[in-house]
Amino acid sequence: MVVKVKNLVKRYGNLVALDHLSLSIEEGEIFGLLGPNSSGKTTAINCILSLLKYDKGEIEIFGKPMSPESYDIKRNIGIVMQNVAVYNELTVYENVNYFCGLYIQDSSTRKKLVDEAIEFEGLQDFTRFYPKKLSGGLLRRLNIACGIAHKPKLIILDEPTVAVDPQSRNRILEGIMELNRQGATVIYTSDYMEEVEQICSRIMILDAGRAIATGTKDELKSMISLGEKITVESYFVSQEQVEKLQRLPNVVSVEYKDHHLVIKSGRGFNNLEAVLDFIRRENIEFGKIYSELPTLNDVFLEITGKNLRD
Amino acid sequence: MFAQIFINRLKCLLRNRETVFWTVAFPLVLSVFFNLAFSNLDKSETFNPVNVAVVNDENYQNNIFFKAALNEVSKGDDRLFNLMEVTEEEAERLLSSNSIDGYITVGSSLKLIVGKSGINQNIIKSFIDNYLHTFSTVNNILVKNPAGSRALFENLSQRVSYTREVSPSSAAPNNVLNYFYTLIAMACFYGCFWGMREITDIQADLSSLARINTAPVHKMKAFIYSLCASLLIHLVEMAILLSFLRFVLNVDFGSRTGYVILTVILGSIAGLSFGAFVSALVKKSEGFKIGIMIGATMIGSFLAGMMYQNMKYIVAKKVPLLSYLNPVNLLTDAFYCLYYYDTLKRYAINMGLLTIFIIVFWTGTYLVIRRRKYASI
Repeated sequence: MVVKVKNLVKRYGNLVALDHLSLSIEEGEIFGLLGPNSSGKTTAINCILSLLKYDKGEIEIFGKPMSPESYDIKRNIGIVMQNVAVYNELTVYENVNYFCGLYIQDSSTRKKLVDEAIEFEGLQDFTRFYPKKLSGGLLRRLNIACGIAHKPKLIILDEPTVAVDPQSRNRILEGIMELNRQGATVIYTSDYMEEVEQICSRIMILDAGRAIATGTKDELKSMISLGEKITVESYFVSQEQVEKLQRLPNVVSVEYKDHHLVIKSGRGFNNLEAVLDFIRRENIEFGKIYSELPTLNDVFLEITGKNLRD
Repeated sequence: MFAQIFINRLKCLLRNRETVFWTVAFPLVLSVFFNLAFSNLDKSETFNPVNVAVVNDENYQNNIFFKAALNEVSKGDDRLFNLMEVTEEEAERLLSSNSIDGYITVGSSLKLIVGKSGINQNIIKSFIDNYLHTFSTVNNILVKNPAGSRALFENLSQRVSYTREVSPSSAAPNNVLNYFYTLIAMACFYGCFWGMREITDIQADLSSLARINTAPVHKMKAFIYSLCASLLIHLVEMAILLSFLRFVLNVDFGSRTGYVILTVILGSIAGLSFGAFVSALVKKSEGFKIGIMIGATMIGSFLAGMMYQNMKYIVAKKVPLLSYLNPVNLLTDAFYCLYYYDTLKRYAINMGLLTIFIIVFWTGTYLVIRRRKYASI
């Protein structure tokens, strides 16, 4: 077990930020903490890192209790904070070298690791640049390079793709998967369900400081009743037609809003053919029609009654 | 680890142009302004001979005693008068054109003609009064006791002052030095910017930069290593300022160079500790903290006499406790003690009190930053 958290409680006055949170992360996992803003993701990370005092609970990393003095544990952890944490007065190379130097004393080993981290994040052409000269995406990559240069066994990334363009985001996500393939265990927090779904082997969904569901993405999706969501873009659908659709077998709900007809079906059935038949029969004109399997947002919606990014 | 943190910290801090400006360029620029503004203060203390004319007529030529007396005080580098012997018309013309402060006519009595009143006119009048008084005294003695004339003339040539000026120092009093000493004290306390930066970068609840809290490094050790870099930079800055004041602006620090350096070192540590203390204690924005630090330093400098020299003495007289509670004043006074006083007693008191301030600031800072876990981030 790389990380084990048991009954973690953190309060800010009357506000319960973490409510008896328990989790365990196995070696080699990419563990996603998914939840909306203020759900407790960063608080959980800060408690795990012993940066924050907590009211109750136990935290073990690499099988040992974590404390601010656990230098042997910290040596094997890499942190990528939500806010970019680099020195504006140091160049890209100097930043990576400085933070790597807090873990690696030997200068030749450090140089090798710094070069590798810079290459890994594709920053070779920017080593003499100061952070203020970097784009948002490059800055995020520098932030990651500073956190991973010392080749940690456990990498904690707290929303590393905030305000990043899609190209840089993909590069960052691919990089995280590569680090995992190289043997690192990863904790990844985000409120972007697509990212978590794309890279995480196991996911915990947090809401208001509580873990509301944990499992692989398939396990999470199997927890809900929704099986398929068909969306039809159509200029006009009458109320009568909506009601008829609702009477089709296995249809859970039908909603027509903003020229989008959304038909949700129960798990285990495919309704696309029946819906297409109905549209032809009723001569409903349509632009596009597409079918989707449930997303993590659907899981979150069904459990909490609200969207992840509300 | 020390070298790794220390060297990177040096790079980091030296490239922070804003702080470097406030801690080195600003005091240098201010010292130049001080020099321009106060360089004439000392000149006003030096005496310039008074331009005076005497009407060179028969009466003047016949009054050999007055003529001799007037010529005597108009000779040499330390002369009282720049004397011109001219006609009455010429004297009138010189007075009208302000070339002279007054002119003297010798008749049955001595007359002084001036165009306006002032210090120089008073000096001429005092000279004439003194001459007349002495002449009258000598005259009376010679009439009543002609036998004592020899002793009288010996006494006249060896005038004795019955009061004696006793200086507590071998150094000459200097009105300007205190301004420069307050400037040095202020510059020492501007080290607070470095102190603030150190605290901000080590505290996880103040800066996202505080990755050090998650690294396998002892927080207090890392803080001390960083602080060494800050102190070194600040001491170099102070050395630049002192050298500039001493060798370019010719500010006199007296002969106790070792003590001056010790004072600057203690002052710099006090400045750093003050910034660290404010930054650790005040849980507000960086701008707010900078406001407190600049405000406190400037008020301290004002009370130490930076903008108005007599303020230092007013505070010492009216609220003496305040002059001991103002670390900027303690530093200023320490420099002045080294320059002016032969003994080190007052200097030692200043340094002792400053050391107490340093201990209080560091203890307070330690109590705040020793926390390894935070209630909130």
